[in-house]
Amino acid sequence: MLNFMPRSIVALVWVALCASVAHAQSANELQAVQQELNSLGTRIERLQDLNEIQIVQHTYGYFVDKAQWHGLADLFAQDATLEIGGKGVFLGHDRVFEYMHKGLGPLGPRDGLLIDHQQFQCLPTVNDDGVTGSVRCIAFVMSSGGWGHNYYEDRFVKENGVWKFKKLHGPFNMYCGYKIGWLDNTVVNTYPEKFPPPPDLPPTVIYLTFPNYYIEPFHYPNPVTGNPMPPPSPRAGGEAFGR
Amino acid sequence: MSFSPRAVRLALGLSLGLAVCGMGCAKDEAARLTALKARLKAMTEETATVEAITKVQRLGRAFGYYTDKGYFGEAADLFTDDGTFQWGVDGVYKGKARIRELLTRHGGGSIKDGPGLPFGRLNLRMQLQPVVTVSAGGNSAHARWREWGLLGEYKKSATWGDAVIEDDYVKEGGVWKISARHYYLNFEAPYQGGWASLKPVTTGDWQSAVAKEFPPDAPAPQQYAPFPTVFVPPYHYANGPLKAIQSRAPFTPPRRPDDALGKLEAQADAKELQLARTHSVRALENLQAMYGYYIDKGQWQQAAALFAHDGTYEFGQSGVYVGSAHVQRALSLMGPQGLEQGQLNNYVMVQPIINVSADNRTAKARWRSDVQLSRDGKGRWGGGIYENEYVNDKGTWKFSKLHYYVTFWGDYDQGWVAKPFPMDPPNTKVPPDRPPTVVYQSFPKLQVVPFDYVHPVTHQPLMTEQE
Repeated sequence: MLNFMPRSIVALVWVALCASVAHAQSANELQAVQQELNSLGTRIERLQDLNEIQIVQHTYGYFVDKAQWHGLADLFAQDATLEIGGKGVFLGHDRVFEYMHKGLGPLGPRDGLLIDHQQFQCLPTVNDDGVTGSVRCIAFVMSSGGWGHNYYEDRFVKENGVWKFKKLHGPFNMYCGYKIGWLDNTVVNTYPEKFPPPPDLPPTVIYLTFPNYYIEPFHYPNPVTGNPMPPPSPRAGGEAFGR
Repeated sequence: MSFSPRAVRLALGLSLGLAVCGMGCAKDEAARLTALKARLKAMTEETATVEAITKVQRLGRAFGYYTDKGYFGEAADLFTDDGTFQWGVDGVYKGKARIRELLTRHGGGSIKDGPGLPFGRLNLRMQLQPVVTVSAGGNSAHARWREWGLLGEYKKSATWGDAVIEDDYVKEGGVWKISARHYYLNFEAPYQGGWASLKPVTTGDWQSAVAKEFPPDAPAPQQYAPFPTVFVPPYHYANGPLKAIQSRAPFTPPRRPDDALGKLEAQADAKELQLARTHSVRALENLQAMYGYYIDKGQWQQAAALFAHDGTYEFGQSGVYVGSAHVQRALSLMGPQGLEQGQLNNYVMVQPIINVSADNRTAKARWRSDVQLSRDGKGRWGGGIYENEYVNDKGTWKFSKLHYYVTFWGDYDQGWVAKPFPMDPPNTKVPPDRPPTVVYQSFPKLQVVPFDYVHPVTHQPLMTEQE
């Protein structure tokens, strides 16, 4: 009896010890699960970021349609820049508002004046830092004056968890009237003095619109090969990247 | 050494209790851990699916940006080495080199001189309205796209292009590529006269000039006639459950225990919901795009099937139709099921702003539609805004409310400024269940369609700005 008791106690303690070893093992497993959750969380957030950047770009288009300039300017970070066509660069949130309000007209839609700036083919990218990103997008313009086709190569910044424009750059491809379309009455690019207000900085690039050729560089490499964009060939008609 | 019987009983009892509890709790915890790991595995797979959809969208859009500017080699590089490109009824071209030459010849570039386009050449091919379906294994996918082309040569020609693309994709070494593209050209119409001026052609008798000089490697698997004949390019999502419009069924997680594992379970619940909502965004893009493709071809029954049984439909000033049966009757006012020869009914679905509710049960979205119509030999342009609502029906997204606000209708030949049309009043033969919810006039009148979402940056409600 005396011999039995210590042995049985030892055996029971051993069982209890095993249970706590199992507990320690599961603690390691919990840590692994936590890590997996963290990396999954980052991937999910990137997917959300792509959608949120696209929403900012698409909302910009809906605001242009109806001259909602305060709402539009609020899509921009305080230190953001804007450059559209050949008009030059506007610095900061307030100048974005001024460009729209002075340059394009008073707040709100005006009967008979259609200025739909439809946002097509949005290709968003979120950088590895998770707080900067880009978009390549098309504005297909249906207006009272006719048609327009522009690109955007825009930069975004995530401030306090909210995506905003850091830089909007909208090079023109083609503008034309309605009657015969792009057959021959195409409209040339804008320039700094074309309409008020004057820009803060001259255009970053000088180029001509259709029937001339200009390509705005892509912010992304080829999605399959990973190769950067080769410059256009002047012999093929590609007059480089502008100035 | 000796133990009192009482001490022995106490020690025995304590040890037993500890051991039994230890084993019991461990067993319970092990089961919970196994369940959590299984959930994480499923979430990882679902994340990969949503990533795949975004990558396929990226491929399609990158293709468009390349062809626009004569980067045909870069466009061909988006294909697998043995990738194929079927161009309308012309036939099938195989391999990157042949695809590059095909695109170069159609776009007016130069193989020898490299990327670019000659002065005066316009080759804008906008890639719109994707419906992306990722296969169960996660290594292949399909997509339907719409191509809207602005084509031509300065002072020589100006042409509208309209095509539907059905693509196959594969993931090779972790990289998504196009493995087969089926490009179903619907029309290339001269700007002067537009699509309504096109005359019927005989099936198989409309090979392009490019195909005559640059014969394909294999014949097209299918012959068809372009507009004004109504041809429905085959849908990759015709059969089986509509995976493209599914995400996760609404799910209320149980209260998790207040222990280390419970904290992880709660984290997983939150991430699962976040993932479900981002997956829902893609499913809703697919749903609206799918609706557009059905409307294009007068497939009212298929379109109405995308509505919840109590879903509503409101178009312009035509009133509200309630329930999928009435929705189908309302859609049928546009023409017979399948349309008649000469009827064009293109509703291009673009510019989504999708907001999924915090619990993933409902969603709202703003969309834009451009409309290209033809009736009785007359062409028409249209434009407008959707403010729609959707419901997550056991994991499948459906329309609970579709509301199209007409911005303008315009005559093709004279344009919307010279010849705008008013909206149709409610139909008297198939009257709506309710009058219009908002009374307004279309162009030349203009108004802001109320935004059903807050400002994406300031998060303030959007009030109309007007001076």
